[in-house]
Amino acid sequence: MTDERVIHGVVGSVGIAVGRAVRTFDPLFVSFNVKVRPDQVRKEVERFRHSVEKSREQLKRMQAELRRKSGPESSFLIDAHLLVLQDRLFVDRIIEKIENESINSEWAIQQVSDDLLQAYDRLDDEYLRERRGDLEDIVRRLLHNLQSKPLPPLKKLPYDAILIGKIVPPSTLFELRTQRVVGLATETGSPLSHTAIMARSLEIPAVMGVTALSEVSSGDLLIVDGERGVVICSPSEETLAEYKERDRDGRKLKKKAAASASAPSVTEDGVLISLGANINFSEEVRSAITSGCESIGLYRTEFDFFREGKQLDEESLVADYSLVLKTAKGAPVTFRTIDVGIDQKSWDGVNPNFGVRGLRFCLENTDVFKKQLRSLYRASVNGRMRILLPFVSTVDDLDSASEIIMAVRRELDLKRQPYDPRVPIGVMIETPAAAQTCDLMASRVDFFCLGTNDLIQYYLVIDRSDQSVVHLYNPFHPAILRCLHQIFSLLRPTGKSITVCGEMAADPPSAAVLLGLGFTSLSVNLGAYPRIQRMIRSVSMAQLRDLAGQILKMQKPKEVEEKVRAIVYRS
Amino acid sequence: MKEREVVIGHRLGLHARAAARLVELSSKFQASIVLFRSDPTNPVEADARSILSILLLSAGYGSKVGVRASGVDEDQAVESICEYLAG
Repeated sequence: MTDERVIHGVVGSVGIAVGRAVRTFDPLFVSFNVKVRPDQVRKEVERFRHSVEKSREQLKRMQAELRRKSGPESSFLIDAHLLVLQDRLFVDRIIEKIENESINSEWAIQQVSDDLLQAYDRLDDEYLRERRGDLEDIVRRLLHNLQSKPLPPLKKLPYDAILIGKIVPPSTLFELRTQRVVGLATETGSPLSHTAIMARSLEIPAVMGVTALSEVSSGDLLIVDGERGVVICSPSEETLAEYKERDRDGRKLKKKAAASASAPSVTEDGVLISLGANINFSEEVRSAITSGCESIGLYRTEFDFFREGKQLDEESLVADYSLVLKTAKGAPVTFRTIDVGIDQKSWDGVNPNFGVRGLRFCLENTDVFKKQLRSLYRASVNGRMRILLPFVSTVDDLDSASEIIMAVRRELDLKRQPYDPRVPIGVMIETPAAAQTCDLMASRVDFFCLGTNDLIQYYLVIDRSDQSVVHLYNPFHPAILRCLHQIFSLLRPTGKSITVCGEMAADPPSAAVLLGLGFTSLSVNLGAYPRIQRMIRSVSMAQLRDLAGQILKMQKPKEVEEKVRAIVYRS
Repeated sequence: MKEREVVIGHRLGLHARAAARLVELSSKFQASIVLFRSDPTNPVEADARSILSILLLSAGYGSKVGVRASGVDEDQAVESICEYLAG
């Protein structure tokens, strides 16, 4: 009997990793104040310069390799480090300190960097505050090189390692790339941090902002789920088996993929199911398409929109969105407009899940919304775009959004800027209000998506980031089944398409329930793609419809789940 | 000495990438180059060749920054730095 624990964070880099925790040490060593004899000061300065030179060489090597492997995108991280090493504000001040105070290099470095780090902490800008991590990274390297010690000797790890720590510097992650580092989880940080960018370019699954990680010790068995943004400590045998399967799936998809993934997903009795991929970052489009996914069913644009802590300007957005569409090579891409408030625990204790998020935010910040819409429309000529509005709760919201969309299009007409006027507009059904009234919205939009994660959270009144209730989260609850059945029945007469893109679609048993209830279009994280495709090919629609009829009459979630599992895993 | 004011037009403000390029650009000149914010409540100066001081200037998109250069090539320096900052 293990006591499995699920800790929530934010997705930093997608994918699944299973391994043992290895805690990275605090990057700042404890340095001591040592007086240097006056006649030794010059030697001490030399010692410091030598460590600067050595660090520079190491960074140059890193940069070259990074450029070769993942392109110029992430090698700029190293540029900043190299520039710090030639920064007079840093280097000259350290030398001055060694000379004027006759102290050892370590102490001088520590004092100068402490001053700078404090200055960073006083900045208002969140992105810039994150940059203190770069400085800490450099300091750590200098201190290592001063003591002529090799960087942490994690070589020849006997097992797959998951790096954990308050912060894990990007260079540590890079240096360990050839070791068996399979995942990353940090207590602080965000998808904006350089560590996250590095993890994505190295394709290492990462979850950030996992506060409760401090209770995990090195050697503990961990699962990093970079699809849901959670870390699972001491997983049960059952959970472990499930994730190992998913991990294998992910690798398989990466390796050979194309052949089987690109074949259509058809049930045993010949019903064609549309299966798309969900992505969070534009870089993921390429691997989704080369793996053979038929569409990008959900692109959550807020991560890229706020990249590097600042909103991108319109021209950059147009360029990014155009590239996404071109990379998709004609496959449709559903761009969900920014859903902010999501996954961010607010500091003042207000639960953002019940506040201003999704379309609510956009309608209050029309400048931001218009900028994104203009960028989307301007990029639309480069492929097949769909625009999806998140967190809609009333028909009024939708009317306001439509007015803004029309205004943006008129503006582009006036400027004679080309765009595709037929870009389909859709609504994300994720609030109970939208679930109840989706038929009233149908005449105003072209398609629907169903976000089951939020829908379940709001229907069952469960805050998924709250440990004390998370076990109550259950897609097999009769309330959810009835709700899904109702949505399908309300929308069927309207003829509008519905794609289910929540986690329910990514888990074979619950996805089978969705099929049985009539939903024939699903979109899932890349890692879940093979297992859902396999499930689809192994079931018969007739049987699933029959199953749906039976479970709708059941009273308890457990009964439903057992019944479904018996059918899905029978083969 | 030559001085001019410029509005940061760089898409993300003076962040890591932009700051790194600014340092490279500034290093091409002989003149000493200083960026400053003339905000009376919080005046800050930054050496254009120091990435740390540029980042600490915390100059976002749309903010006004002064550029001051002194040296033999001060005119070209101010001109190209302003051109770069205006984006």
